[in-house]
Amino acid sequence: MPSNIQLCYQCGKCTAICPVRRVVKTSPRTTIYQSNVYGIDSDDIWNCLTCNRCYDTCPQGVDYPEFVREERANRDSTGAGAGTKIAHEGVFTLLAGMMADLGNSRTTLKEAGNERSKVGYYPGCLDFHDMFFNVDVDFKAIAVSSMELLGDMELDPKLLQMKCCGHDQLWQGDKTTFDKLKEQNTKLIEESGIETLVTSCAECYRTLSQDYDLPVKVVHISQLLKDANLNTSTATTTDPGINVTYHDACRLGRHMGEYDAPRDALTNSGASITEMKHNKNDSWCCGVSSMMNCNDRSKALRKAKLDEAKDTGADVLITTCPKCLAHLTCMKTEQESVENYEFEIKDLTVFLAEQKGGKKDE
Amino acid sequence: MTDFDLELDSNLEFEPDILTFCCNWCSYAGADLAGVSRLQYPANNRIVRVMCSSRIEPTFILEAFKEGADGVLVTGCHIGDCHYIEGNEHTDVRMKEMVEALERLGLGERLHLEWVSAAEGKKFQETMIDFVEKIKALGPSPLKQ
Repeated sequence: MPSNIQLCYQCGKCTAICPVRRVVKTSPRTTIYQSNVYGIDSDDIWNCLTCNRCYDTCPQGVDYPEFVREERANRDSTGAGAGTKIAHEGVFTLLAGMMADLGNSRTTLKEAGNERSKVGYYPGCLDFHDMFFNVDVDFKAIAVSSMELLGDMELDPKLLQMKCCGHDQLWQGDKTTFDKLKEQNTKLIEESGIETLVTSCAECYRTLSQDYDLPVKVVHISQLLKDANLNTSTATTTDPGINVTYHDACRLGRHMGEYDAPRDALTNSGASITEMKHNKNDSWCCGVSSMMNCNDRSKALRKAKLDEAKDTGADVLITTCPKCLAHLTCMKTEQESVENYEFEIKDLTVFLAEQKGGKKDE
Repeated sequence: MTDFDLELDSNLEFEPDILTFCCNWCSYAGADLAGVSRLQYPANNRIVRVMCSSRIEPTFILEAFKEGADGVLVTGCHIGDCHYIEGNEHTDVRMKEMVEALERLGLGERLHLEWVSAAEGKKFQETMIDFVEKIKALGPSPLKQ
């Protein structure tokens, strides 16, 4: 779909609302103006976090993130992310690129589930997160918890052995690698014989449902969890439950419009939610998207996010995206010497699985 | 190409391209010692000298494989002997993760970590011979063009 930036009438709401604008001199409005009127290729596109905040606000429905994505792909002359520095020295980009070139490589986790199941669970790149992120988070626990919760819902899931979904490559401007991964993954899904594909990652959810043309139904795990009866809500009458706050991942919230499912799932589990000052479609970004722009500026965004979470007084900050989880945890650890963040940061599935386990013990 | 050339080509043995990282203080000196002691080892390796084995980032290794290396050998000082006190301990952790990551790609056996001190020219030679043999048995890297 070609971007629709010609619709822009220069009201500037995008620039006013842009989270990156708070820390960097960037302007979606100017970039669009320069492109529309003078045909100038602004380097501003490399600052964008593609969080969709501007698209959400735009009265004309101009899809600036889509424009950014196309521009990055067009300008990609010397490899992915030519115009910016990719976090972790591009190790994930390299891995995904090699995965696309190697026929038999997969991201695999050991729990395989029922081979003949019609419900497939796709863990994404959780195993690589465990290897290369130097943060105190057990990413594999997300996959384990998700499989456990899906099992509790009697969906009898199987763990799909697919490659990387290609989300980061797509947004970094490496369309060639993305296309290769897309082709190989589509084939793997078709061969697996599943009818429903479940992901626990907001980025995978967005990519698989919008950028892939899959013959199966793609759902985010929170959409199943909101209706599930997990035997966790029994104690709500007497016990007010654990106080949590929820961070809307941009890919699940603004990109896919799913704000309520994770919240419903949390409420059902007996937890009470205190919203942050900026929530739902107004939510602030975790500051890093597609492994780009992890720098002092995006750290300022993350600090702001953590401060908001602290103000709610919640015990746990819940998110649905492993990348948000990693980056917020990283920032929390870094800030521990100067700030006192007393809350924990957890993935939705891990939190729900723990809640369930805790209730069983009582 | 004539038939004769084709026959000749098929008789050629596979010669792997191996990238070796040596640390400045121990294993590079070990390689030097192997040289001055005239210890023979296969000429398949290309040595890159780094100041410490912990300088080697995961991307270096991935980049090497991407560019067509059949094997990557990482060498450094023995644990406890590091010139920078604990650099090689980081290497140890990192390489274990790296092997795990490469196993997912089907390249796990093509990365090897070995501690070689400055006095172990003989060990350098043996490591080299063993590794080249191993890679020859594995065949060319699937990423090689």
